[in-house]
Amino acid sequence: MADEALFQFLHSEIIQYVNRAETGESENGRCVSKLENMGFRVGQGLIERFTKDTPRFKDELDVMKFICKDFWTSVFKKQIDNLRTNHQGIYVLQDNKFRLLTQLSAGKQYLEHAPKFLAFTCGLVRGALSNIGVKSIVTAEVSVMPACKFQVMIQKILLGCDRRHWCEIRFQCEYGRGLC
Amino acid sequence: MTVHNLYIFDRNGACLHYSEWNRKKQAGISKEEEFKLMYGMLFSIRSFVSKMSPVDMKDGFLAFQTSRYKLHYYETPTGIKLVMNTDLGVPNCRDTLQQIYSTLYVEYIVKNPLCVLGESLQSDLFCSKLDSFIRALPFFSVRAA
Repeated sequence: MADEALFQFLHSEIIQYVNRAETGESENGRCVSKLENMGFRVGQGLIERFTKDTPRFKDELDVMKFICKDFWTSVFKKQIDNLRTNHQGIYVLQDNKFRLLTQLSAGKQYLEHAPKFLAFTCGLVRGALSNIGVKSIVTAEVSVMPACKFQVMIQKILLGCDRRHWCEIRFQCEYGRGLC
Repeated sequence: MTVHNLYIFDRNGACLHYSEWNRKKQAGISKEEEFKLMYGMLFSIRSFVSKMSPVDMKDGFLAFQTSRYKLHYYETPTGIKLVMNTDLGVPNCRDTLQQIYSTLYVEYIVKNPLCVLGESLQSDLFCSKLDSFIRALPFFSVRAA
């Protein structure tokens, strides 16, 4: 139990610290992106440790299931309650009792402060996915605390570029009689 | 058997929280004065008890009792004081007060980064959890005995 409280206190203090350092109109945006970048680096390291004994992942869905079950359990001691996807690279992870929000409120109080508390975890998920080899964008939304939803958008641009690039090379070779 | 009201004070005498369930008679003075009176009384009685104790003191001041109500007192090492007024049927509330501190105050106030320690408690979650905790106590009933 002690280690859970330790992380919670540290996390709250990180948010307060970053908040105090940022003053101005764009404060909320910069605060959130700083926290997200912190989470990114932590997520990259964490996923190396957690997957050192697991076999390779078959596909994207397998990766997302790992994040929802094993990864979430190791970090937050519970699993994601609901995973939805449109099979086109968008996944929605729903946690009905998010550990970092339970102490805040049970409803609408403090709702405007909630995004700051989710930024670190968004970065965590993005970092974990990036080290597995999946480039993504992770956002979070919360309507009634402590339930929240994380939306993961997998970027497929990299793969598309490679294919086009490959096609271009062959095209030039055939026409220009250059070296393939 | 019932609980009348509950005060929570911090180390400097500021009243962090007050709620009542079954108070029949008001004090006749404003709330700030009532809190100051309560805190001052506790401070004096604690030092009195430790000075006048004929034997080595173990826990210090625990509770006082009149013919109609009993006041229970619990102080944490960090200086948070919990005071609960109940009627006479309640034997010893120290464990209850300790539970209120550990499961409610620490969980929902100390761990809530948006609650500034030392100021009056704003969290709705804490108030509602405290309310349901008190109502679930075995010696709580809505109508006073």
